[in-house]
Amino acid sequence: MLLEVSNIHVHYGHVAALKGISLAVEEGDFVTLIGSNGAGKSTTLRTISGLDHPSAGEITFNGERIEKLSADKIVKMGIAHVPEGRRVFKDLTVSENLLLGAFTRDDKAGIEKDMGKVFKHFPRLLERRNQSARTMSGGEQQMVAIGRALMSKPKLLLLDEPSLGLAPVIVQEIAKILGEINRQGVSIVLVEQNAELALELARHGYVLETGTVALEGEASGLMDNDHVRKAYLGI
Amino acid sequence: MELILQSIVNGLIQGGFFALFAVGLVLIFGVMSVVNFAHGELVMIGAYTIWLLHAQNGLAFIPAIGVAIIVVTIIGLLMERFLFRPTRDDPLAGLICSIGVLFILQVVATLIGGDGPSKQVPPPFHGTMVVFDSLRIPYQRIFSLVVSIVALSTLWYFLTRTKLGWALRAVALDREAAALQGININRISMIAIGVGGALAGLAGALMAPLTNINPHMGHNVIITAFIVTIVGGVGSLSGAVIAAVLYALFHTFVTVYFGGTLATICGLILMVVVLIVKPTGIMGVRVSE
Repeated sequence: MLLEVSNIHVHYGHVAALKGISLAVEEGDFVTLIGSNGAGKSTTLRTISGLDHPSAGEITFNGERIEKLSADKIVKMGIAHVPEGRRVFKDLTVSENLLLGAFTRDDKAGIEKDMGKVFKHFPRLLERRNQSARTMSGGEQQMVAIGRALMSKPKLLLLDEPSLGLAPVIVQEIAKILGEINRQGVSIVLVEQNAELALELARHGYVLETGTVALEGEASGLMDNDHVRKAYLGI
Repeated sequence: MELILQSIVNGLIQGGFFALFAVGLVLIFGVMSVVNFAHGELVMIGAYTIWLLHAQNGLAFIPAIGVAIIVVTIIGLLMERFLFRPTRDDPLAGLICSIGVLFILQVVATLIGGDGPSKQVPPPFHGTMVVFDSLRIPYQRIFSLVVSIVALSTLWYFLTRTKLGWALRAVALDREAAALQGININRISMIAIGVGGALAGLAGALMAPLTNINPHMGHNVIITAFIVTIVGGVGSLSGAVIAAVLYALFHTFVTVYFGGTLATICGLILMVVVLIVKPTGIMGVRVSE
């Protein structure tokens, strides 16, 4: 098992955001977390990547306990997190953003090669590599954010709402690229409001409701589940 | 005419000093979200180091500058490690800590130099460059200007051309997103306050032969630094440098024609006007999210 989250609890002040969440990601897996606002999807990702810390529970990555480590150490172990709202460095150029994604690495040749890979996924970034991220559209900024995460050469990629606020064409483009990235061997945990898209892309799904896992299973199975259809797919 | 030319030159030299300490204040605020009220006292300690080592004990000027930079950098690093880091989640606590440091450093300076009249450091560089008959610039001032420009250019190179410089700007823009790239926030905070402290120490050392040195000289420094950073746009380093030069020219001219006190009052009025009319400053961008 690549990532194992077992029974984590997270509190913001006195408010419990996660009340015992467990999930597992195998090597090469594509997992999605769906659920409504406030269900704890983002908090789950933030806790895995070390931005938040659980008050109880364990997180194991590649056989090592990580729930107490700081975010910058977790990146080094091979987890990259594309945060909600993209959060690219707007005053920096596209290349500077990408190179910061490789901050933990020293292998110049490898960095160069991965930069080429990112530009292959997102040719538009190559055209605009010397432009400041501020001047880019929402979709392009999302590409920068994903590219930046890939530059750390992650084993596991966490994505928080990559489709938010983007035109359907761009969403399709990004979805296609996430599939490619996964096929190249990077495991993915995708948090999405757009449950239909998420369940189409992923192999396994977890449905989060008020800080707990309400349902889990094969993505195709969840797609046929009555509760999921009513509550999240609007069918 | 002569007076105008002379004032422009003096203004530019003054602008170099202003930029050195204002940029440090902006760096520390950007990366650590702390308004360092003790920044003027860091400059003061730089000047005191020159007085003590160079004027009192005969150490050559240039090595004394080196020591001033090191001493002030160390004070800055200690402030980060023992005051600002433990209070990081509470900007008000950091600010109050920095005010505490301000008073402590003033007392330290009084203990070292006494509270008598202001100290003077005789200029180590003698002579005056005669550009033409009516424009004469003392070599001491030329030296200060050149060193300021070299220091600011080095900083600019560091921030725009090196990976560590990008990391520093990234932390200033979005601390969490920076941590997600594997950037160690504590280390970057140390670098920011180290650089800010070094520049403050350098500014104090360069100013020492050109100004009156006393435990309260930091007061004018911090007022100037606030005016410059607000006019330039809080968080904008290039804005701070541009505003430093413009404000120094403005301050010099008002001082020459109307007097120094009025110049500072005008500066504060200018700051208030900028806050009302264009709160983002001349180079600032609106802070998003």
